Amino acid sequence: MARSTGKDAQALFHSLRSAYAATPTNLKIIDLYVVFAVSTAFIQVAYMAFVGSFPFNSFLSGVLSCIGTAVLAVCLRIQVNKENKEFKLKLESIYRHKVLSGISADAERDLPAERAFADFVLCNLVLHLVIINFLG
Amino acid sequence: MQRLLVFLTAISLIPLLCNSFSPENPTDRRLLVLLDDFSLKSTHSIFFQSLKSRGFDLDFKLADDPKLSLQRYGQYLYDGLILFSPTTESFGGSLNLGAVLDFVDSGHDLILAADASPSDLIRNVATEFGVDFDEDSSAVVIDHTNYAVSETEGDHTLIASDNFIQSDVILGKTKIEAPVLFKGVAHSLNAANSLVLNVLSASPSAYSSNPIFKSSRPPSLTGSAISLVSVVQARNNARILISGSLDLFSNRLFSSVVQKAGSSHKYKKSGNKQYVTELSKWVFHERGHLKAVNIRHHKIGETDEPAVYRIKDDLDFSVEIYEWSGKSWEPYVANDIQVQFYMMSPYVLKTLITDQKGLYYTSFKVPDIYGVFQFKVEYQKLGYTTLSLSKQIPVRPFKHNEYERFITTAFPYYGASFTTMAGFFIFSFIFLYNKSQ
Repeated sequence: MARSTGKDAQALFHSLRSAYAATPTNLKIIDLYVVFAVSTAFIQVAYMAFVGSFPFNSFLSGVLSCIGTAVLAVCLRIQVNKENKEFKLKLESIYRHKVLSGISADAERDLPAERAFADFVLCNLVLHLVIINFLG
Repeated sequence: MQRLLVFLTAISLIPLLCNSFSPENPTDRRLLVLLDDFSLKSTHSIFFQSLKSRGFDLDFKLADDPKLSLQRYGQYLYDGLILFSPTTESFGGSLNLGAVLDFVDSGHDLILAADASPSDLIRNVATEFGVDFDEDSSAVVIDHTNYAVSETEGDHTLIASDNFIQSDVILGKTKIEAPVLFKGVAHSLNAANSLVLNVLSASPSAYSSNPIFKSSRPPSLTGSAISLVSVVQARNNARILISGSLDLFSNRLFSSVVQKAGSSHKYKKSGNKQYVTELSKWVFHERGHLKAVNIRHHKIGETDEPAVYRIKDDLDFSVEIYEWSGKSWEPYVANDIQVQFYMMSPYVLKTLITDQKGLYYTSFKVPDIYGVFQFKVEYQKLGYTTLSLSKQIPVRPFKHNEYERFITTAFPYYGASFTTMAGFFIFSFIFLYNKSQ
């Protein structure tokens, strides 16, 4: 086996970057949003380690709001990613009767982005309602 | 009509006649003195006179007087009992061992003096208080190194002892300079009784034996195990003095010249008078009797006593403690009185600060735990009466609106929560209006 060098690592990094550059912009936006949420959570954990766990409920709600946001954003990303076949398959199985009844199979292949986003918004509303109640 | 009035007055005065030591009415006290014969009245007159001069009313009776009675209609007629009857086999009247014990159990004081060969009755009374006289009835205390030099007696049974208990409250503040003369029977203290105290002990060279006949057996009591005079303060604060010598109280030993064997110093007077007087002051509660009044507590900055405290409240606690001096209540000064804030175990234990005028106070924070607490002062000190005070007080948790609303430490968490909300809002806009796909 060949020894790995710094050049190999650089090459790997470059290939990753060029591969990522091909990612659609809307997915990049979601990625940025996830990074923002996770880093906010990390800052809070570091702060808690510094000042102590006293208002523990506040700490939990602060961190969980970030984690929850990140999780929901990842879910959204899975659903709007066109390369993801999982939701198409499910759709076809769910709407089989409609396919048989003559509705175009092509229209059913993708999960509508609007529906995924509506799920995302609804879940976020519930999450933040809980967070606000637990905060103080 | 007039007769009825006299009768009613007499009836109403009966309770005043006599009671045990009570903080409300500590003066005008009556003592019953039981004697073997009335000649003791003159041979021990100095002791009786000192009691009378301190305001005691002495009632002399023969120990076998058939009309003896300590109580009438359930009320005790006397505050204290002096048993100067070492040879009495049984008391007269209704008095017996049980009656004497009941008398002490109800908080009254007792002085018991035995002498060589005490009777079984006197032994039994002493045994009840944790004092066992030497079982050999002919034995007396003999000490060949610490006897008092005397021209007439050569058997070394007149002991000159200065092994006093180190306690200002029992023996008074004035130091007793001259040795105390003792001539009588030895006793030992029952190890199971934690209340009995040795106030005059024999020297290590003392032993208890028959002074005339040489015994073949070794003496049963020797050295420091021999106690000459002992006191008991019962849990109800009744005080008992037990002496192995009746002569300890006699005029003869009060005024005799003392020269301890092996010492050239001659004391003009023995220490007996001072010793016995101070000891009797203690026994009859003229010293070392404490009372606590005005237990108060309130939140800092308020004056009213609340019905309930909240956890983490700051409070002030105060109590006034006085000592009876024989004539009046004097402020008691000490730095070792503690208050407990108690619920099954003390959560707070604080030493009280005194203002030297009888007031003891401190302040502390109610612990972070709720339940029914007690303020407790448990004060037990050698020679002083036991103070045992408690006052119940409930402690409640915070009300829902008593918590802090916005905590400064938590501001970053609030900030993070609202930032994620704002982030969500901005993200939604960008995501929805992004045309690049």
